[in-house]
Amino acid sequence: MDKSATQLPDATSRQTDPGQTGQRRAAAISVLAGLVWPLQAAVVAWAIGGLLVERSPAPLIAAIGFGGLGLLRAALTYLAEAQAQAAAEAMIAQARAEIVAAEARRAGDSAFGGAGSLAALAGEKLDLLAPYVTRYAPARARVMVLPLVILGLAFWQSWAVGVVLLISGPLIPVFMALIGMAAKEASARQMTEIGTLNDFLVERLSALVDIRLLGAGPRVLEGFARQAGDLRRRTMAVLRVAFLSSTVLELFAAIGVAMVAVYVGFSLLGALEFGTWGGQLTPEAGIFLLLLAPEFYQPLRDLSAAWHDKAAATAVMDEILAHSSEGSAQLPGSGGQAQRLPGPASIGLHGCFTPSGRALPDMTIAAGERVALIGASGAGKTSALRLMAGLEMPGQGAVVVAGQALTAASADAWRARLGWMPQSPHFLTGSLRQNLTLGRRGNLAEALESAAVGAVVQAMPKGLATRLGETGGGLSGGEARRITLARAVFGNPDVVLADEPTADLDADTAGKVTEGLLAQARRGVTLVVATHDLALAARMDRIIDLGAAP
Amino acid sequence: MTALWSIFRLILRDQRASMLRGAALGLVVLAMGVALLGLSGWFITAASAAGLAGAGAVFDVFRPSAMVRFLALGRAAARYGERILTHDATLHALETLRLRVLAAHLAAPYARMIRVRGGQALNRLTADIDALDGVPLRLVLPVMAGMAAQVLAFAALWWLVAPSVALWVVGGYLAGAALTAGWMARVSLPLSRRAEVAAQAFRTRLIDLIRGRRDLAVYGRLVAQKAAVERAEARRQDLRRHLDRAERKAAAALGGVASMVAAGALGLGMMLVQSGRIEPAFAALGFFAALALAETLVPLRRAVSDLGRIAGAARRVGRDIASPALAYSHVDGPSACAAALDLKATDLILQRPGAAIPVVTGLSFSLHPGKTLAITGASGTGKSTLLLAIAGLHPVAEGRITLGGRSVADWPEADLRACVSLLPQRSSLMAGTVAEALSLAGPKGDKHMWQALDSVQMTQVIRDRGGLASRIGPRGDGLSGGEARRLALARTLLRMPRILLLDEPTEGLDDATAIAVLAGVRRLLPTAAILIAAHREVETAFADRVIALN
Repeated sequence: MDKSATQLPDATSRQTDPGQTGQRRAAAISVLAGLVWPLQAAVVAWAIGGLLVERSPAPLIAAIGFGGLGLLRAALTYLAEAQAQAAAEAMIAQARAEIVAAEARRAGDSAFGGAGSLAALAGEKLDLLAPYVTRYAPARARVMVLPLVILGLAFWQSWAVGVVLLISGPLIPVFMALIGMAAKEASARQMTEIGTLNDFLVERLSALVDIRLLGAGPRVLEGFARQAGDLRRRTMAVLRVAFLSSTVLELFAAIGVAMVAVYVGFSLLGALEFGTWGGQLTPEAGIFLLLLAPEFYQPLRDLSAAWHDKAAATAVMDEILAHSSEGSAQLPGSGGQAQRLPGPASIGLHGCFTPSGRALPDMTIAAGERVALIGASGAGKTSALRLMAGLEMPGQGAVVVAGQALTAASADAWRARLGWMPQSPHFLTGSLRQNLTLGRRGNLAEALESAAVGAVVQAMPKGLATRLGETGGGLSGGEARRITLARAVFGNPDVVLADEPTADLDADTAGKVTEGLLAQARRGVTLVVATHDLALAARMDRIIDLGAAP
Repeated sequence: MTALWSIFRLILRDQRASMLRGAALGLVVLAMGVALLGLSGWFITAASAAGLAGAGAVFDVFRPSAMVRFLALGRAAARYGERILTHDATLHALETLRLRVLAAHLAAPYARMIRVRGGQALNRLTADIDALDGVPLRLVLPVMAGMAAQVLAFAALWWLVAPSVALWVVGGYLAGAALTAGWMARVSLPLSRRAEVAAQAFRTRLIDLIRGRRDLAVYGRLVAQKAAVERAEARRQDLRRHLDRAERKAAAALGGVASMVAAGALGLGMMLVQSGRIEPAFAALGFFAALALAETLVPLRRAVSDLGRIAGAARRVGRDIASPALAYSHVDGPSACAAALDLKATDLILQRPGAAIPVVTGLSFSLHPGKTLAITGASGTGKSTLLLAIAGLHPVAEGRITLGGRSVADWPEADLRACVSLLPQRSSLMAGTVAEALSLAGPKGDKHMWQALDSVQMTQVIRDRGGLASRIGPRGDGLSGGEARRLALARTLLRMPRILLLDEPTEGLDDATAIAVLAGVRRLLPTAAILIAAHREVETAFADRVIALN
C-alpha cells in the first residue's frame, strides 16, 4: 500500500459523514449478493450430479431454483448499488456545496486556482469520487469475505482443492505488487503525459489565429501528430509492463481453475484417490467445486479493475483538502441586498494598509466631492478603492463611511449606496439587459443616456437582448467600460468608485467615459477615481497622491 | 447517435488496422472463455459418468485436460494482447480526434477561432474529446466482439448440444440485451442531455460567481448568484439520481437475463437428458457455456451508462470537425512571395457578423510597395475588421480588396499567407524556446532570427534571458506585455511579407522604443506595403499617409 492509500480513508471520513452509513450498508449487501453464488452452485451440482446417478431431478425445480437465486442476486446487487450511489451522491453534494459556499464567502481570489480550475474541481473532478464509492469500496468488502467463505466451502468438500486455492490466492497479490511497483511510477508518468497532450492541444487552439496568419497550419499539425505518436509509443511501452500485473492475476486464476478442473476430473474417473476426507469425490461435489473456483478469484479481479478509481479519488481528495484548508480573507457582510445605510455619502481611511503591507495615507472625502487617487502601479490605488467599497476589511486602522466605522454588519447597507466600475469588468452569462440591471429596479433608458452608451447598445446584434458571456459578446474594451458605467449609474448611487476608468482607451472614448462620470458628480454623487490618466485627474476637485512604486 | 456513429467511422477510417486487430482479439478472448467453461463442465461430467460406469481406464483424459490447460493459459495471454491492442487503438483514436479538431479549427471562421480560445470553450472541448477517446475501446468494439461471440456460440451449441438449447441461450441473450439497451438508450439519452445542460449551468454560474465576485457583492447580488448556482446543482443532482436509477435497473435486468438464460439452459438440458436425447455431459456443456456467455453483457452495461455522455460529446465535436480542412497546396507553402504587391480597397463595406449597421462604409484607398498607411479612429470603428478582411479572415460585404490586382477571396491560402502577414491585436505565444516561437513563422536560421529580434529592439532582452534557446512559459509567461508583443512582431516579420498589416503594434511600449521598433520594421522590410491600425501619435507620425475612420 502506498502513501495515498492510507491517506484516503482519513480524507473521505472527514468529508463524507453523510455517506458513511450508506457505504457500509452497500458493502454488506454486496457481500450478501456474493454469497448467493454458492447456493446457485449447489443447485447446479444437485441437478447435473442427479442426472449422472439417475436420480431424475426435476428440470423445472432446478431451473426455478437457479433462476430464482439469480434474480435474488440481481436484486441484492441493485440494492447495494442504490445504497452506494446514494452515499456517493451525498458525499459529492456536500463537498460541492462546501466549495460553492467557500467561494461565495471569500473576499478575494482563491490561491487554489482561477475560476476555470475551481469550476473543474467542483464539477467533473468531484464526480470522480463516485466510482470510488460505488465500485472500489464494495469490491474491497467482497475481497475480505468471499474468498474466505469459498475457501471454507472448498476445504469442506476436498482439502486438495482447498490447498490449490489457498496457495494460489495469496500468491496473486504478491506477484501483482512486484509487477505493480515497476508499473506504477511509469503509469503515473503516462497520465501526466496524456494531460500534457491536452495542454498542448489547448495551447494550439488558443493560438489558432496566429497559426493561421503565419501560414503555420501544416507545420503545427505535423508537429502535433509527431508529438502524439511519440506519446503513444512511450505509453504503450509503459502499458506493456503495467498490464502484466492484471495478466498475472488472470493467469493465476486460470491456472487455479484449470488445476481444480483437472484434479476433479481425474478424481471422478478414479485416477486420483487423495484429497478428500475419506471416500471418493462425488459428482455433485466435483461440479460444485468447479463452479466455486472462478468465484474465488473474482473479487480480487473486481478490486484490481477498480484500482484506478481509487487513484483518481485520492487525487481529487487531495485537491479538495488543498482548497478547504486554504484560509483567506472573508467578504465583509453577505453580499446580499440591504437597505441603504443612512448618513452623508462621505468616506474616510484612517491608518489603513494595503494587503501587501504598504501604509495608505489618511484621507477624508466629503459627500459630493470629486477625488482622484493617483500613484504608481502597486501604490495601493485599487486596494484603497476596495476598502472604501467595504469589499475588504482593513487589517489595521479604520474605514469610516457615512459618519460611522464600516463593519461587517454595515457593509451590505453601505454597498447598497455604491456605483462600482472595476478595472477589468467580468460580464455574467446572460443578456446585456441582465448585466446592466443585475436584478435591480430602475430607469434603464436614463442610465444608458447618462453613460452615453445608447449607440453601443444599438450596434449590438440584438440590442439589450444580446447575450454576453465569457468573451464579452464582442464588446470592445471601451464599450465594456462604458457598459459598466451605465451599470453603476442605473442604481442611482450616492457614491461612484471607478478603478482606472480610462485606461487603454483612445482619447475620444476616454473623453466620453470622463464626461459620463462628471455628469454623475454634477448630480451630487461622491466620485472617487483611481487613475494614471492625468487629464482625468485634473478634472477632479482634489488629487490624492499615493506615492511612487513600492 | 448518428453523430456518434460518424465519429466512430472517422476513427475507424484513420485507424482501421489497429481497431480491427483489437476487435479480433476481443472476440478470441470471449470465445476462449466460453470454450474453457463449457469444456470444463463437459469434462467433469463426462469423467464422472465414466467413473461411475467403471470405464475410467478407457476414458481419454489427456486431450480434454490438455485442452483445458491450453484454453486457460491461452485466454490469459489473449486477454493481455487484447488489452495492449485496444489501448493502442484508443491512443490512435486520441491522436486522430485531436488532429481533426485542430485541423478543422484552423479552417474555421475568425469568430469561431476567437470563441474557442475562451477558457470555458476550451475546457468543454477537451472534456468532450476525452469522452470520445473511449468510443472504440468501451463502446463499439466490445459490443461487436460480444455479438460475434454469441453467433459463434450459437453454431457450437446447435452442433454439440441441441438446436433448442442454442436457440434459447443465444436468442435469450440477444433479446434481453437488445431490449435492455434499447430501453436504456430511450430513457437515459434525454436525461443525460438535460443533466449536461444543468452541469453547464452550474459551471458558468459558478465561474460568474468567482470572476464577478466583487461586482456582485457591491450590487448585493452575491447571495442571489449563490442561490442560482445551488439551483443548477440541485437540478443536476435530481437528474443524476434518475440516471443512476435507470442504470441500476439496466444492470439488474442484464444480471437477470444472464440468470434466466443459464437457468433455462440447465432445465432444457436436463429434459433432453431425461428424454434420452443427449448425454449428461453435453447438458453440462450447454449450461456452462450459457453461464460463460454472461461475460458478453459486461461491456454493454458500461456502454449504456456512458452512452448519454458520449453521445452529447459526439454531437458537439462532430459539429466542430464538420468544416473541411484548409487546402494547402504543398506542406510549407511557397517560401516567399514572388513580387512586390499593391494593396487596393474600392468602395469597401464591412459588416460584423450579426450586426445591423456596417462598421466600414465606402472606404477606398491604395497602398504601394515601400509605403506606410495608418488607419485611425476610435475603438469600434472597424480598424481591426479592415485588417482581418485584407488578411482574408473576414468577409467583404460589398466592394473589393485586391492584392496585386487579384481579389483577396481568389487567393489560395498558402499564397495569401506567403504574401500577407497580420499582427493581430492579441497574439498568443506558446510554451517552448524563443527559437521555437519564432519558427512558427517557418524554418529560419539563427542569423535571420537575430535580425528580426534586432529590428524590434529585443536583442538585449533575449540575450539577457539566455539566447534563442531560452524558454518561454505557456501563453508567453515570463515575458512582460511589451516584450511578448515585440516577440510576436518579430515572428510576423520573419514571414518577410510583401504586405504587412499591424494592429496597434506598439501597444504597451514607451514612445522611444515604439519609434525605434517602427523604424526597425521598415529597415527590415524596405519594399513592403505597411498598413497600421494606429491608436498612438508615434504610429501616425511614422506613416506616410493617415486615413481616419469614423
